[in-house]
Amino acid sequence: MDVSLQISIGKLILKNPVTVASGTFGYGEEYAEYFDISELGAVTIKSLTLKPRLGNVPPRIVETPAGMLNAIGLQNVGIETYLKYKLPFLREKKCTIIANIYGTSIEEYVQLAEQLEKEGGADAIEMNLSCPNVHDAKSKFKCPLIAQSPEWVEKYTYAVRSITKLPLIVKLSPNVADITEPALSAEKGGADAVSIINTLLGMAIDVNTRKPKLRNVVGGLSGPAIRPVALKMVWDVSRTVKIPVIGMGGICSASDALEFLIAGARMIAVGSYLFRDPLVPMRIIQGLRDYCLTHNIDDINKLVGSVIVE
Amino acid sequence: MKKLHECLITLHNLVAPHHYRMVLQNKDLAIHSSPGQFVMLEVSTGYYPFLRRPMSIERIFSDGVSILYKVCGEGTKILSTLSVGEKINVQGPLGNSFPIPEGYPHYLIVAGGIGVAPFPALVEKILKVRGIPPEIILAGKDYNHLLCEKDFKQMGCKIHLVTEDGSAGQSGLATDVLETINTQGETIVYTCGPLPMIKNVHKICVQKGWLCYASLEAEMACGEGVCLGCVLPAKMEIENEMMARVCKEGPIFDTQVILWDKIGDR
Ligand SMILES: Cc1cc2nc3c(=O)[nH]c(=O)nc-3n(C[C@H](O)[C@H](O)[C@H](O)COP(=O)(O)OP(=O)(O)OC[C@H]3O[C@@H](n4cnc5c(N)ncnc54)[C@H](O)[C@@H]3O)c2cc1C
Ligand SMILES: Cc1cc2nc3c(=O)[nH]c(=O)nc-3n(C[C@H](O)[C@H](O)[C@H](O)COP(=O)(O)O)c2cc1C
Ligand code: FES
Repeated sequence: MDVSLQISIGKLILKNPVTVASGTFGYGEEYAEYFDISELGAVTIKSLTLKPRLGNVPPRIVETPAGMLNAIGLQNVGIETYLKYKLPFLREKKCTIIANIYGTSIEEYVQLAEQLEKEGGADAIEMNLSCPNVHDAKSKFKCPLIAQSPEWVEKYTYAVRSITKLPLIVKLSPNVADITEPALSAEKGGADAVSIINTLLGMAIDVNTRKPKLRNVVGGLSGPAIRPVALKMVWDVSRTVKIPVIGMGGICSASDALEFLIAGARMIAVGSYLFRDPLVPMRIIQGLRDYCLTHNIDDINKLVGSVIVE
Repeated sequence: MKKLHECLITLHNLVAPHHYRMVLQNKDLAIHSSPGQFVMLEVSTGYYPFLRRPMSIERIFSDGVSILYKVCGEGTKILSTLSVGEKINVQGPLGNSFPIPEGYPHYLIVAGGIGVAPFPALVEKILKVRGIPPEIILAGKDYNHLLCEKDFKQMGCKIHLVTEDGSAGQSGLATDVLETINTQGETIVYTCGPLPMIKNVHKICVQKGWLCYASLEAEMACGEGVCLGCVLPAKMEIENEMMARVCKEGPIFDTQVILWDKIGDR
């Protein structure tokens, strides 16, 4: 039996439903030493901003039970350097590129998307409306994220939708009461897909010094610790919107990836577990194929949302 | 080059209280390793601890490498329970290596505590390519914390022992000895140990006009330059301040490129 792993996001056709989570794969060069990165359904790159960013003051990461907190603060090379020095490598490798972008205003998102489309820097755009690490936790008790306001999600999405034909993905935050609301707004705004989820806000303290372990005080929790939360949110969102859901959060194996697909994700991303096992995306692609063979499934799309709730 | 290796543990010894040496057998890893580089060890097959643990390469053999480590938390505790004959997943070699520029009649090493770990391999390499035995300041809290003394002696190094409590060698700090050393001609200093020590070694080297390379540490997640978790503020090129990745641009840095004022004492 031939198994098809092919899926689509908007008008973009991907050879399999496996990508990597933004910020855990750089711009592809490093892990290209470990495996053929063109085998991925897509490469999702680290969030790009208009100008290069230095990011937060270290320490920026701390290990936690079954996961880690990060407060990188969107350190990145900026769009110019990306287009000039990072993009040629990804193109030469024939990767499908999901370019993740971050702006501090609607105009910045628009400008980033326009430039990416004009210069062929992306096959799809992922709007990061949910980075928890670019606000000062000390001065603001609440860190407002665009993704926390359904109204703003729709406005931001609509603005970018209006100026680009590229498939548009909106990445949402789990730090909300009901994630289906911003997901619906993204759909209304014209998104082709939503990414569920970015990291959960968290904190860790060194009891000897009584100082937070992260210089930024708070950070984003990722890894298997958040998997059940992410899975539930994927299930909720995929029952609510008609557009595809890209599921992520603690995926470490093919079996984890299958859980997300069965819950309703059309595609999945591996993030933090890459740090433990850079080969995990390849293991997942192989594992999905094996599962389909054993379960007599000729098309992976048939699995999506197939959860049996009695 | 393959960077993920299943290594056979062929030796695992307690070398001082809470300090162990482990030999990881793997030809591929050995062939590609250089002094100053490090490996990331998978200490658990489950999710606790979640991340790999970085360890400097202590010595490079024809069919493997050794590491020297101190038990300080959960990960190293688990590591210490592994037995000879067991296998461990090792990622590496990672990071850059110690430069050994020509034309320096004096190679000086300043090692504090477990910071001695990367130096046996460096000494062997300097002997091989330059034929000059480096001079070593070996410092520790007490006599129990002076590691590798015998190895360095065998390699023909001149050694200055220093302990904080005076239980071996001179009493005081590594930097006390470094201040008193005067050399003729160009000198290059290599250092690794507690951050306050490295900072002071750097200051002394600046005063003396010596080139100084330090092996630096930071909390690491990926070890490969993708997560941007392990950065330090640095000025690698003129003008441009940047966040240098300890795992990629480092772990070995010319201490003059690090913006020490921006790094707190961690
Ligand atoms: C490039 C590099 C090379 C290293 N080489 C050696 C070596 O040769 N021998 C050796 O004994 N240790 C070395 N270390 C430090 C070693 O990685 C840590 O001691 C180890 O990860 C602690 O793990 P743990 O689970 O036992 O402790 P944890 O429970 O994780 O932490 C215990 C204590 O160690 C500190 N710590 C944790 N991770 C690091 C880290 N990456 N760097 C510094 N402190 C840390 C924590 O802040 C805490 O205070 C190196 C670190 C780096 C970055
Ligand atoms: C070190 C690190 C950096 C990240 N950087 C970004 C980023 O720049 N943009 C973004 O949208 N998400 C970023 N994320 C979030 C991930 O893309 C992903 O949504 C999250 O980590 C959950 O997946 P995981 O549990 O598999 O890691 C980052 C995560 C980590 C761990
Ligand atoms: S540890 Fe990830 S960039 Fe250095």
